[in-house]
Amino acid sequence: MADEFSYTDEELIARFQDGDEQAYVELVNRYRNRLMTFVYRFVNDMEKAEDIVQDTLMKLYTHRHYYRNIAKFSTWIYTIAGNFAKTELRRKKRHKVTNLSQMGFDDREYQLPSVEPETGETAQGHFAEKKIQMAIQELPLHFRTVVILRDIQELSYEEISKIVDVPLGTVKSRINRARLQLQQSLKEFR
Amino acid sequence: MDRYQFEDLISDYIENNLSMSQRKQVEAYLEETPEAKQQIESVKQVMASMKSMPGISTSAEFMNNLNRHISAEKEAKSVVKSTYSFAGYTPLMASLSAVVVIAVVMLGLEFMPESSNQATFTPTMTEQQINDLPALPANPNDSMLAESDEDSTNYDEDTPVKRNFDNKIQRVGNKRP
Repeated sequence: MADEFSYTDEELIARFQDGDEQAYVELVNRYRNRLMTFVYRFVNDMEKAEDIVQDTLMKLYTHRHYYRNIAKFSTWIYTIAGNFAKTELRRKKRHKVTNLSQMGFDDREYQLPSVEPETGETAQGHFAEKKIQMAIQELPLHFRTVVILRDIQELSYEEISKIVDVPLGTVKSRINRARLQLQQSLKEFR
Repeated sequence: MDRYQFEDLISDYIENNLSMSQRKQVEAYLEETPEAKQQIESVKQVMASMKSMPGISTSAEFMNNLNRHISAEKEAKSVVKSTYSFAGYTPLMASLSAVVVIAVVMLGLEFMPESSNQATFTPTMTEQQINDLPALPANPNDSMLAESDEDSTNYDEDTPVKRNFDNKIQRVGNKRP
């Protein structure tokens, strides 16, 4: 079992491509929460985020042979999740334009599950988190993706550049602009 | 350095990605502009807050749902395989194979030598039937034909004198005369 955890992502996907389904389970366990965090911060809807992560991991299952060992596995899987998330947001936007009066389940505010009774400090933490989450939603999509990948997922600039398929300089510039915009939005909240 | 140049360099300054000269320029700007210093602190705070945001976990049902989807996918695949295959061939594979076979036959006919491409004679009568056929009537020109049977290489000139060499031939054991 200990050996299983020493496999790199790339070794696991190679094993899965050779028919080892246990390697798939291991990849799912490694990535489901990471992807969930990324997608939720992006679409701001728990149910939709979970659906998107499901779709992403299903695509990993059905399109396993499309992965080529020329890029990191994480780059590939984040690219798939990001594309699904963007498609969902575009669909949601179209839906909203046509149904302005129908505020449904998608528009509810997300609430973090409360594990322990909230003290003043934790309540303040949740409040701050909500404010940041709201500020992130105000960012244009091309800013939102890169700043989540950098400041929440803590990926390198190089990897982000590959995921969003734009030059490194553009990625750096977008992240800087996104931070400045977030700083402005959060200043107004205080 | 103006405000816009400074703002372009904020992230690089915080993450220590500036050259020495650029860093000095930013620090000089920060010295003379207190709001800029405040802005740097503010951006640092945003970055720290984002980093400290809790991770989101999938629901307890997530794995069950995923397994269900995978099972459905496997089932759908096996149905497609059994429905759309004949003796192990998919319709596409079967069509392609048929095209290849036809192409090979056509090319074979094209390149086949002409002599072997002609129809061959197959007798329609047995040997016995051929022997039982009535004899043909005698041809009046048969005698002429018989004459002509003589070797056409016969000389028209006088027949050369036959010389008798019998006396001159000595056989083994013969005594000389």
